[in-house]
Amino acid sequence: MLFFENKGTFNQHMTKMPLSNRSSTKYVNMAACVSENDSDKKLEFFLKVPFPSEREAAIALQSLSPDPEPRKGGITKNLDVTGHTLSVRWTADEARILRVSVSSFLDHLSLVMETLDAFGPPVSQ
Amino acid sequence: MNFPINFIQAFSKAILAVVMVLQPASVRSNMTVVIGFEGSANKIGVGIIRDGEVLSNPRRTYITPPGQGFLPGETAKHHRSVILTVLQEALDEAGLKAEDIDCVAYTKGPGMGAPLVTVAIVARTVAQLWGKPLLGVNHCIGHIEMGRLITNAQNPTVLYVSGGNTQVIAYSERRYRIFGETIDIAVGNCLDRFARVIKISNDPSPGYNIEQMAKKGTKYIELPYTVKGMDVSFSGILSYIEDAAHKMLSTSQCTPEDLCFSLQETVFAMLVEITERAMAHCGSQEVLIVGGVGCNLRLQEMMGVMCKERGARLFATDESFCIDNGAMIAQAGWEMFCSGHVTELSDSWITQRYRTDEVEVTWRD
Repeated sequence: MLFFENKGTFNQHMTKMPLSNRSSTKYVNMAACVSENDSDKKLEFFLKVPFPSEREAAIALQSLSPDPEPRKGGITKNLDVTGHTLSVRWTADEARILRVSVSSFLDHLSLVMETLDAFGPPVSQ
Repeated sequence: MNFPINFIQAFSKAILAVVMVLQPASVRSNMTVVIGFEGSANKIGVGIIRDGEVLSNPRRTYITPPGQGFLPGETAKHHRSVILTVLQEALDEAGLKAEDIDCVAYTKGPGMGAPLVTVAIVARTVAQLWGKPLLGVNHCIGHIEMGRLITNAQNPTVLYVSGGNTQVIAYSERRYRIFGETIDIAVGNCLDRFARVIKISNDPSPGYNIEQMAKKGTKYIELPYTVKGMDVSFSGILSYIEDAAHKMLSTSQCTPEDLCFSLQETVFAMLVEITERAMAHCGSQEVLIVGGVGCNLRLQEMMGVMCKERGARLFATDESFCIDNGAMIAQAGWEMFCSGHVTELSDSWITQRYRTDEVEVTWRD
């Protein structure tokens, strides 16, 4: 699935990850890139999550962006939407801080997707 | 072709009548329906209120084994696993669909971070899916507004006591002002942590089990009584009784029931004192007890004695509304929504600290 390589090389892994429990499970393609930027000595992690529509990607962004990171320092997280893809970018000082944040985000993302499944589709605006 | 004017008017009225009949009930009768999401501690609840009527209020509680408290990560995981089921239950029990809802309210704070985020995420998502406005509610105000709705108390001195909060509140000039509070831990926290020491079951709640055991207590153990002016302190009593429990139970000087009894008598007397002090300041003739600890019948009894001496009235609610629930958030949300409040998505972040007097109470004079 997803794993780290912090040898300063750029690794790209395409994985299929089920994020929904419903029988009509959609497997989400996630492209995760991990690199260690030697000059900054910071870890970076990228996540791209495609959604079935632009609207649902925008909904996910609005649901996942308002809350600040619980940890004050040592981690930054940026969310953005392009088309129907939600992209997330982390920078962190330490691997364990990064792991906690990414893990937590994936739980919340999963919850958004389950909610979209159970209570969607969005009403027409 | 020219139709007679009467015919056109009659035809328009007929069309209008048909259109009105086809509208959902809330539009037809001008009613406001609010759904509320609550999950700041170990209870996760979703409730629906329509103009002061509770249409549904399902809830689940995360119960830990005896001797253990609930931690934020595990509590959030519990909430994540049941929230969508509880949401569907709330809609089904109320017999409503998404389009019948006018506003989505949720707990903005105070409370535990991880569970608050879980609930806020679902609230934000359904608000966007259904195209409804969002409203972040203060948990304490949720308790107060539910208490006011259920008991119809006019302008009470409110004692808000739970596992996370202990405050004496009175309304004055557009704010719920805190007259007295705990300077360290909440009274419910003191009771819950004591329950862990003597390994009482957490089902249905540690406080309930302490109350049952206290009824069988016969010996009163002297415990430190800490009222500081308008405020109270519980961490000293807790460390004292934890210590006393180890010493006295091992030498059989008293039973766990005696300790439960003594602890309740002491902490509840402290709460009655600070409530009475606030009543004297405000010249108030009503007391409303809200929050999980408010279910405790001994506390209600002791407060009742004080109220009777002052010629005041005591109001309390039953456990479905005392204990954290979704409908209380819906009710506070209803008041706020009807007086024009709305929370923008970008401002909908949750916060672990949220003072009761931070909110402008625009729905009261």
